[in-house]
Amino acid sequence: MAVRVLGVGAAAPELRMRAADAGAAWGRGGRGAVAVCAPDEDTLTLAWLAVTRALRAARIEPGDVDGLFWGTSRPPFAEGPSFAFLAASLSLSPVVGGALCAGSAHSGLEALTAGADAIGAGTARVAVVVASDAVRPGPGTGFEARCGAGAAALVLAADASGSSGDSGPATLGTRVTRTRPFLDRYRGDGELDNRDMYDARLFREEIFLPVVQVVTEALAAFDVRAWSLPDPDGRLGSSVARKVGATETPSATVYEAIGDAGAAAPLLGGIAAMDASGVVAIVGTGGGRTTGMLIDVAVPVPGAATTLDALSGGTAASYTDVLRARGQLVPVGETIPMGVPPESAMFVRGADEMLGLLGGRCVDCGTISTPPSIHPHCINCGGPKLEPVALARSGLVHTFVINQTMPAPFVAPLPIVVLDMADGSRLMLQAVGDGSDIEIGRRVDLVLRKYAYERGVPVYGFKARAQKEVAS
Amino acid sequence: MSWNRVAVVGAGLIKMGELFEQSYEQMAAGAFEAAVAAVDKGFEPNQVEAAFVATQRGTLWGQEGIGGNTVPTALGLAGIPCTRVENACPSGSDAFRVGAMAVASGVHDVVLVIGVEKMRDKSSEEGLLSRAAAGHPIFTRGETAPVLFAPFATRHMYEYGTTREMLASVAVKNHYNGARDPYAHFRNEITVDDVLRSAPVCHPLHLLDCCPQTDGAAAVLLVSSERAREFTDKPVFVAGFGVATDHPYLHEKDSFTEIKVTRMASQRAYAMAGVGPSDIDCAEVHDCFTITEILDIEDLGFFEKGDGGRASLEGETALSGRIPVNTSGGLLAKGHPIGATGVAQITECWWQLRGEAGERQVDMRHGYALQHNAGGRGSGVSVVNILTNRTDAS
Repeated sequence: MAVRVLGVGAAAPELRMRAADAGAAWGRGGRGAVAVCAPDEDTLTLAWLAVTRALRAARIEPGDVDGLFWGTSRPPFAEGPSFAFLAASLSLSPVVGGALCAGSAHSGLEALTAGADAIGAGTARVAVVVASDAVRPGPGTGFEARCGAGAAALVLAADASGSSGDSGPATLGTRVTRTRPFLDRYRGDGELDNRDMYDARLFREEIFLPVVQVVTEALAAFDVRAWSLPDPDGRLGSSVARKVGATETPSATVYEAIGDAGAAAPLLGGIAAMDASGVVAIVGTGGGRTTGMLIDVAVPVPGAATTLDALSGGTAASYTDVLRARGQLVPVGETIPMGVPPESAMFVRGADEMLGLLGGRCVDCGTISTPPSIHPHCINCGGPKLEPVALARSGLVHTFVINQTMPAPFVAPLPIVVLDMADGSRLMLQAVGDGSDIEIGRRVDLVLRKYAYERGVPVYGFKARAQKEVAS
Repeated sequence: MSWNRVAVVGAGLIKMGELFEQSYEQMAAGAFEAAVAAVDKGFEPNQVEAAFVATQRGTLWGQEGIGGNTVPTALGLAGIPCTRVENACPSGSDAFRVGAMAVASGVHDVVLVIGVEKMRDKSSEEGLLSRAAAGHPIFTRGETAPVLFAPFATRHMYEYGTTREMLASVAVKNHYNGARDPYAHFRNEITVDDVLRSAPVCHPLHLLDCCPQTDGAAAVLLVSSERAREFTDKPVFVAGFGVATDHPYLHEKDSFTEIKVTRMASQRAYAMAGVGPSDIDCAEVHDCFTITEILDIEDLGFFEKGDGGRASLEGETALSGRIPVNTSGGLLAKGHPIGATGVAQITECWWQLRGEAGERQVDMRHGYALQHNAGGRGSGVSVVNILTNRTDAS
């Protein structure tokens, strides 16, 4: 059974750091820029954004997804409900199956092959594959100048399902894989920072090139139009491209825009190439494994053309900002704990309504009270019958503040907005950024972000993000 | 016809401030002794039959929930009935209302209402942030106290053209009054420029738009009107009161240009007292932030909606203005020891109604003073008490 790609989506984090800024702190140079997660972003929020975009492009409702395959080298919990939190934040069905593939930069391709196999085996009719990563290099390593972050998502379906007839825009094809037990980049058990390769020349000549070339040469037998190739050091990507005779390598553009996005990098280069017909080769490597997969694009895949747009922009961040955002620069002393800890009953009761952003709509008067668990009665008419509804994800700023007095764990300035949502409900949420783009009447979208990180637990919720224009 | 079944025969407070050298118990004792000393014809502490104590944030001094049995011992009154009243920022004004009802019910003839708050046994950051981390983990995350009122300033400025200068004029006026109040936390005058140039706290509010974190205590003695003359020839009567609640979270508010509970509570108090806004000679209102006083004077009916900024700027609420507001210096200058605040405001009203407010004294030609608090997360509750010196109303 052929596996089709119905749509794709990409995401990059908020911050951009000039490589020269990190280098300067350690007496080195650096060129280009890398994408870095803001303090309230991580691999889960990036995955959420990429999947949200891919589902929209594919015109698939979250409830129709029955497989989620997530590849990342850094799940937010070393052990814990990473997969379940992502599924809930995407409003996927509670019976959704799938897998979280982790452990190396190869995880993105593992998620892609697992998703393809689930469709092929008929265990999933519609599967979402997402690769997200936010590599955290050790401070002072040359690796800092290259480590990036980003996410790519693909919506897969079998030939017989979906909305666009028998042949989809793209079909997954041949795959080639090699496994060899060597150390490239790694984190030891309990280590937080990625170690760079031990010996650059050893890595290049004995590890990377021999294995990657076996895979690329096998794929080159097909008529490949565009390549997504790994580029762990800023040079090897073009070496491989030359050897295989690749002329079109959108992966190079991705690396240039956001740096090395780890497990997400090969899929990002791949979906960027799906905006035109022809065969696309995706090659990823890491953790002693290298896998290549061909995707035959018949017509441009929905969402593919906006991939590079999704990676562009961002907010300039200093090296200090980046160290703080990555958790490598931490304040001394105790921070004020949340009113209730993230493992407590309140979060058990409120998990679905917070991650899925639910309100309670009054059966009698239609008013939406948010969130349902603290509203047994309607805030308008007092009626006792409320049905859970998914809240609108966009609205207008009704009023706002910018909190400028926020000692740790908060970081000022913190904009907080009251929103008139598109469904008539009202929400008060934190806004993304420093508040300079917030004003009354500004149109905002809601995006998943971290509200807190406490006792090792990230607390996720939606935040408002300003659109560019002011509503009339 | 005012209610007037209960009289205030003694009132007093301690000097407000960062009272690092005083314990909660010592502050309570100081306020009680001041109220006892203020009774014209003398008062023995053991005449107190029951006490109502307002303490809102026991969390800040490690004594959450036990104010009601700490206070009698601190006053040498162990054994009397004592109940803690906690109702957010109006805790003190609500304890007063509850105490008045206890007297009016006939259960007790002599009741002590005392507000005590220790704000500064924790660092100012922790006091501020304990609120930012409390409540719903998402919808109130980062909600320090200014976040509860600054959105109203943003919207009031947007809809009515209220300016930062108008907001600042409230702080300038209240500091002017506070400089004339020996009990005020801040006794310095400031200028509009001082306010505008003070550090940003929570846009659009700056430091001098905000009340300080203050330790303090205040106490009043309530007796049944029939027995008032045993204690004084100048009793002040409880003319009426009103309480109202609204949804606690800001995203549930209908409007960001009014504090609905203030309007509702004041309408109930006016009806009970048989008066209207134009009968009020002076008012102690909740000015935790400058914008709050502008909203108050509109929602209490002193000015049209949207006109509060102009009225403040033009001095209509000054000591010499049409309706003097916060003659004591208000929360902005006198301070906001939360549970004590309402009781301290009543003390100021008591002085004004008895003609004892010194250089802050205003013309009490109608004989009515109004006291108001609003608070809770997102102004979920307001209490208004109206006091009178008019015996013809009883």
